[in-house]
Amino acid sequence: MPLWPKIASFWQTLTKGRRLDADLDEELRGYVDDMTARKMAAGIDPATARRQALAEIGGFDRVKERVRDVRIGRVAEETLRDVGYAWRLLRRSPGFTAAAVLTLALGVGANTAIFSVVHGLLIAPLPYADPSRLVFVWADQATEGYPRAPLSGPELTDLDTRSTTFDGFGAIWATTAALTEDEPEQLRIGNVTHDYFSLLGAPTAIGRTFVEADLVQGPPTSILLSAQLWRRRFGSDPLIAGKRILVNGRPTSIVGVLADDFRLLMPQDAAVPDDLDAFQLFDRSLPEFPRGQRFLRVIGRMRDGVPLAAAQQDVARVGEEISRAYSHYGAAGRKFETVALQADSVREIRGPLLAMLGAVAILLLIACVNVASLLIARAAARTKETAMRVALGAGNARLLRQHLVEGLLLTTLGAAAGMVVARWGLDALLALAPSSLSRLSRAHINMPVIAASLAIVFAWGILLSIAPLAEIWRIRLVNAIRLDAARAGTSGGHRLRSVLIGGQIAMSVVLVIGALLLVRTFLNVQAIDPGFKADGIQSFRIAVRAPNRDRALAVHRQLQERLAALPGSRGAASISHAPYDHVPNWGGPYTATSGTDASTAPQADYRSLSPGALELLGVRLIEGRSFTEDDDPTAPLVAIVDTRVAARTWPNESPIGKRLGVDVFVTGKPEQWATVVGVVEHVRHRSPIVEVRDQLYFSQRQALRNPSVYVVKTDGDPSTIMPAVRDALKAIDPTLPIYDVRPLSMYADTANATRQFTMRLAVIFAIVAVLLASVGIYGVVAYTVAIRHREFGVRRALGAQTLQVLALVAREGAVLLSLGVAAGTVFAAITAWAMQSLLFGIGPWDPATYAIALPVLLLAGALACLLPARRAIKANPVDALRAE
Amino acid sequence: MAPPTEILKGTLGLLILRTLELEPRHGVAIADRIEQITRGTFTVKAGSLFPALHRLEQEGFIAGEWSVTDAGRRIKSYRLTPAGKQQLAAERKQWARIVSAVGLVLESD
Repeated sequence: MPLWPKIASFWQTLTKGRRLDADLDEELRGYVDDMTARKMAAGIDPATARRQALAEIGGFDRVKERVRDVRIGRVAEETLRDVGYAWRLLRRSPGFTAAAVLTLALGVGANTAIFSVVHGLLIAPLPYADPSRLVFVWADQATEGYPRAPLSGPELTDLDTRSTTFDGFGAIWATTAALTEDEPEQLRIGNVTHDYFSLLGAPTAIGRTFVEADLVQGPPTSILLSAQLWRRRFGSDPLIAGKRILVNGRPTSIVGVLADDFRLLMPQDAAVPDDLDAFQLFDRSLPEFPRGQRFLRVIGRMRDGVPLAAAQQDVARVGEEISRAYSHYGAAGRKFETVALQADSVREIRGPLLAMLGAVAILLLIACVNVASLLIARAAARTKETAMRVALGAGNARLLRQHLVEGLLLTTLGAAAGMVVARWGLDALLALAPSSLSRLSRAHINMPVIAASLAIVFAWGILLSIAPLAEIWRIRLVNAIRLDAARAGTSGGHRLRSVLIGGQIAMSVVLVIGALLLVRTFLNVQAIDPGFKADGIQSFRIAVRAPNRDRALAVHRQLQERLAALPGSRGAASISHAPYDHVPNWGGPYTATSGTDASTAPQADYRSLSPGALELLGVRLIEGRSFTEDDDPTAPLVAIVDTRVAARTWPNESPIGKRLGVDVFVTGKPEQWATVVGVVEHVRHRSPIVEVRDQLYFSQRQALRNPSVYVVKTDGDPSTIMPAVRDALKAIDPTLPIYDVRPLSMYADTANATRQFTMRLAVIFAIVAVLLASVGIYGVVAYTVAIRHREFGVRRALGAQTLQVLALVAREGAVLLSLGVAAGTVFAAITAWAMQSLLFGIGPWDPATYAIALPVLLLAGALACLLPARRAIKANPVDALRAE
Repeated sequence: MAPPTEILKGTLGLLILRTLELEPRHGVAIADRIEQITRGTFTVKAGSLFPALHRLEQEGFIAGEWSVTDAGRRIKSYRLTPAGKQQLAAERKQWARIVSAVGLVLESD
């Protein structure tokens, strides 16, 4: 069949429909004239002849309609006409259109924004080469309360040499180093194995990543910069590769700059921040480090085609082999766990994100119900028009198409506006997000996100458009043209609307209860006593550079004295780590019996404290004494243990005066013997909600760490002391790098930041949900009042009291509300059960929470009924009777 | 499987093409001609004639042309296009095959 005439015909149908119709008219008229003439020739009078001719062709317009139906492009033409019609309808009622489009835009925008985050973090592959082959290897030390522990240097070598399913393993450990140029600065450094970046497949913007030839004995001589440091500190110098800078006072050559979009996305508990400034290589002798010195976070790249299960078995087997090969693992042996890097890197954020996605999905549902309700109401108002169309022979398919076109046009407008809302929403989301969720910046509104959002919104759009058809089907049945059309249109559509609004209330109940549970979780976590007090304490980090330990200690003593003496200061102390900020961590084995190997000994976090630090931080001393100035390098090594160490080591006696073998000076063996002088309450310094590891405290004067965190206690706003602090520091040494300046409480806030962020979003969603549901209730009740206006007037005329009319209106609202709330409570209970991993200190069915949520909704619902009720009360009997 | 109306339509199309094979005609003339040749077996009503004509025209098998009669009236007459000639030949063959096939079935035991 020839193609060209068809295309031409299609085009004509679309563009010259009117001329085609005129021609057809003329052609048909000619036909009728011919027939009439023929009949007249047979002796029939002109009028009868014409009537007969018309009767024979079976109606002029029907023929025309049938001819139009065979036209190529007929469907497209009608659809275009429907679009034009729908557009005029929308423009004719701007209030309705604006309400529907805005509601949809809100729902779509929120969904798209959250989904872009979910896509960027959970779905999009990690930004590394062939990321599905990357795994993270943990050591399982669950018996020591440490299920996801790091590995040691020799163990990394074991994995490399004994495994059979891997291309290779790499390791990282976060530390700090001083950039000792004109303006000294402390950098967050990732110490890596030479193949770490080639295993990840990380691209560079300039130069290269590390190669084996860069490996040296002793301090590293090369450095790889992050794009952020390169921009901030080196002005994006394009010729930087090969230049030398001073790191920790040593000339170090820059091998390259990582690509701008490169981010390290390690699991959050791997103690590897996303925003390291630069990278350096481990010492060449890493494989000969003590086997018990565990600090490496290990990634591996599986060989192509190796399934994860096989790799897991392989790594587990290596663990068993070395458990047998090295006696000092003892009876417990060594256990390794292998997990896919993609899944593990988002382990902590997945739950909250999915909860948020669920919440916005419900929000969209609520928004769509409002729009559907508006459409149904409008369809009801147009009952007469529809009835007329049906009477004139419009088929079901025709009506369906017209409503689809209207609904989809509305959806298209809503979706377009929604994309704008999504842009703003995502920006607002990122602005609201805590800095600890920096990887949220991976969220973009890109093609997959837009496609998914549009698919969902148009699926809803189709349902929305069909909803009013329930009404039209009924009209076909009753042939409504004979009925009082305005009345006929009310009951059926109204029932459907009521069901939708009831469902909407139920959905809002789910969001309100979910949000309240998250709020209470957040408050519960805030209320936890972590074992220290951060109120009024200002903190900052200092890296002291001194030729030897005695000089360094002298600087520290001087610092502490000066800071304590500042006006407004109520004391100052130094600690090796800020709470909740264990990067880089410091820890090691401890034992009460000599001859124990590091690998079998329990592990603890080590912390060093200056005299007065425990008191300043409000850590509770249970027994013995705190550190004093006398615990200095000349005195025997002393330690303070936490309640966990005490309970594990000396369950039934006092630890005071006991000797404890530790590895403060990192020799790989717990053979430096310290005398226990005190016992303190365990401090939750890693996470506010769990006790993670045992803790050992050493005197800063005996076990000096650099850099140190200084804490200054003040009476009021802690940050106000900083100018005085800076002056004091300048007086001691103007080149001292001071950084991470912040109130100590900020660390705790950061630890709770994800929870706070989730809670805030949930509250916002819940408020929007209640508002939308209130609008829905208002719409339905107002509609009823409008229809029953005459009835109310008559009732008033017959002497009905205000309260009686009010009760009539309230009854409908009350039924909707109570059914919705009842159903919603059930849904909420199910939802809360599903999200209980996000809850803390509160059960999913906490009665108090439910008891708070319900009045909120009832109040909102009552307010929504109030406005229409006022109109009902004001119904004027005279008007009502006159209208009849 | 095509519904029966399709077969009817298809047949009508074939008949219209055949009618136009010799000379262009307008609507009434086509209906008359079919009725005349089939000796009244088929009467073609306007309700099926005009949709069929317009379908054939849209598909490019026939082309409509407006002309003015002696009485001063515009009429639209249709002529067979080259594509229409090919289509007529093809449909003829197809029709012969159907007739012989149906004949075979009817004459079998």
